[in-house]
Amino acid sequence: MTLLENLAAGFALVANLESVLALAGGVLIGVIAGAIPGLSATMAVALTLPFTFAMTPIPAILLLLGVYKGGIFGGSIPAILIKTPGTPASSATILDGYPMVKNGHAGKALGMALWASCTADLISNLALILLAGWLAAFALNFGPPEFFTLILFSLTIIAGVSGDSLLKGIVSAILGLLLATIGLDLVYGTNRFTLNDPNLMGGLNFIAVLIGLFAIPEILSMVWNPKPVAGKTQSLGKEWVTLAEYKRCFKTIVRGSFIGVFLGSIPGIGAAPSAFLSYSEARRKSPNKDNFGKGEIEGVAASEAGNNGVAGATLIPLLALGIPGDVITAVIIGAFMVHNLQPGPMMFINNPDIIYGLFMGLMISSIFLFLIGSVAIRAFRHIANVPQVILFPSIMVLCVYGVYAVNNSIFDIGVMFVMGVLGYVMLRKSIPAAPFLIAFILGPLLEDNFRQAMLMSSGSPEVLVRGPITWFFWTLTIITLVAIIRSGMKKRQAHITDSSNPV
Amino acid sequence: MLKNSYFISGLVALLLSLLLIFVAIPFGITSPSNISKIVLSPVFWPQVLSVLLGITGIALMVSANGVKVDGVDDNDDNEDLKESTAGGFKRLFLMGILMSAYVIAIPKLGLVWTSMIAFVALSVLIKSSRPRTAIITAIVIPLILYLFFAHVAGMSIPQGEFLRLP
Repeated sequence: MTLLENLAAGFALVANLESVLALAGGVLIGVIAGAIPGLSATMAVALTLPFTFAMTPIPAILLLLGVYKGGIFGGSIPAILIKTPGTPASSATILDGYPMVKNGHAGKALGMALWASCTADLISNLALILLAGWLAAFALNFGPPEFFTLILFSLTIIAGVSGDSLLKGIVSAILGLLLATIGLDLVYGTNRFTLNDPNLMGGLNFIAVLIGLFAIPEILSMVWNPKPVAGKTQSLGKEWVTLAEYKRCFKTIVRGSFIGVFLGSIPGIGAAPSAFLSYSEARRKSPNKDNFGKGEIEGVAASEAGNNGVAGATLIPLLALGIPGDVITAVIIGAFMVHNLQPGPMMFINNPDIIYGLFMGLMISSIFLFLIGSVAIRAFRHIANVPQVILFPSIMVLCVYGVYAVNNSIFDIGVMFVMGVLGYVMLRKSIPAAPFLIAFILGPLLEDNFRQAMLMSSGSPEVLVRGPITWFFWTLTIITLVAIIRSGMKKRQAHITDSSNPV
Repeated sequence: MLKNSYFISGLVALLLSLLLIFVAIPFGITSPSNISKIVLSPVFWPQVLSVLLGITGIALMVSANGVKVDGVDDNDDNEDLKESTAGGFKRLFLMGILMSAYVIAIPKLGLVWTSMIAFVALSVLIKSSRPRTAIITAIVIPLILYLFFAHVAGMSIPQGEFLRLP
């Protein structure tokens, strides 16, 4: 099929009421969830997932993508108005957003956040459309050894950058890989850690593990320390962002968007580092650099462009290679799996209409984000007033219903709670949960590709370095490891120096 | 303490690795006896991961020695937090009981009624200052979810042995 034919087929899938409503509803849910302190975009996407089981694939995935995009923007609203980031990605927005509120320019800060978010979102979506197909075409040359080295590289980078310590990240990833071995063996069909329980023979349910790891620990944190959000909502003021201000910040927004696209397309980096890098670059290059941190509108534009620029780009490795770039795309891969779709290069061959339908839906989502975001800014006072004592029990009940709905299994609810306790212990010990989850998802793929490669070579490990692609990924893995270890050693040295020379 | 966080995580990883290598893998994985290449065996992958886990655990324990103890826990650097979490362990213990009871009670009471009770129990546990709102929400949310999953998504929701919903 030609590009035009693919676009037409994709358009036919999206141009219906169900898809449009799913997208608009998703953005609305995402903005509301992102704006509620205590709910994150990840949790919102995870909790929405069970509601998509009864839907057809395109509206289901569009709903989740809408929640993702809305959630990332929604997080900036409390970051600006009450100095409490709704999502970690919005942390950089506080730096200039809250001082602007203090100066009486809340409306301007929120307006610029919205405009920058929508612009970056659009650029990110375009990057996805341009790059994903090209990368998928390249990935068609991959065999099991190439996929094995690619997944290993992805896991290395995710383990390395997700937390403060590479070693803790590796422990987390290995635990995820070990958990993925539960069930029947991929080749021989023999039992692995199943304890002869039929519930375990198909492996642990991905959604139970996911919701357990990312929603239940938040509830347990609230139980540990029941404390309401301390921030106080500020008035929006009468000033709104002007076209002249948008034009002044446009270069910064575009730069931040490209930073977001670049970092978002690398598995594991995520939106928060992108927002901070975009902010620091804007401060370095701005003529108003002295005003940064005191309420500079360009600072808000930079950080919001940085974190929203990631949103479309994280779908590049997901759609082109079948590798989730972060936790949210790991949830979205779950939606694909529920609907019997396997993201990756073959999807561009077998289901191009779905791929192009998603691309079109993503472009439309930028428009919905602008429209719904404008309303959400004004309605924030009501959204933020949801009492925590109602919110967290509601989340628990939603989690239970959602997990039960996957397989009609009470066992899965038990798995979710056990994973929740594990996730909470990991949270307390600063062991990142993202490598665990992504390793759990990629574990069967990693092992399967490894064993296929071994079958191809009759057990010779030389097949894992058989050509330039495998060498490329091994080199990237080693470079990543060296860079992360060096950075960790530098941090430790600085920590020891600071401790031994107190001011 | 920061040092302890690394040391304890490493120790747990090492112990888990030993448990896997000497107990869980030999007794928990069935491997056919006619496998010619060890790399193709069902036990190979878990064994490799277990060894890696042990090595990483040792590395974590060693790295804990290099970190200067600053007396501040990774997550407990807030004095207010320490004061306000005095009853934290007790509440977490009760939450553990609540989660276990939730799972056990579903076949008997049904998902909807169990969820209502669990909702109220969690509201009490997190010190709800709005008991009336909590009770109303505890009734409304599980019912709405029941309506959606049972009547819109067409799923079978456990009804329990006592009171069945339409």
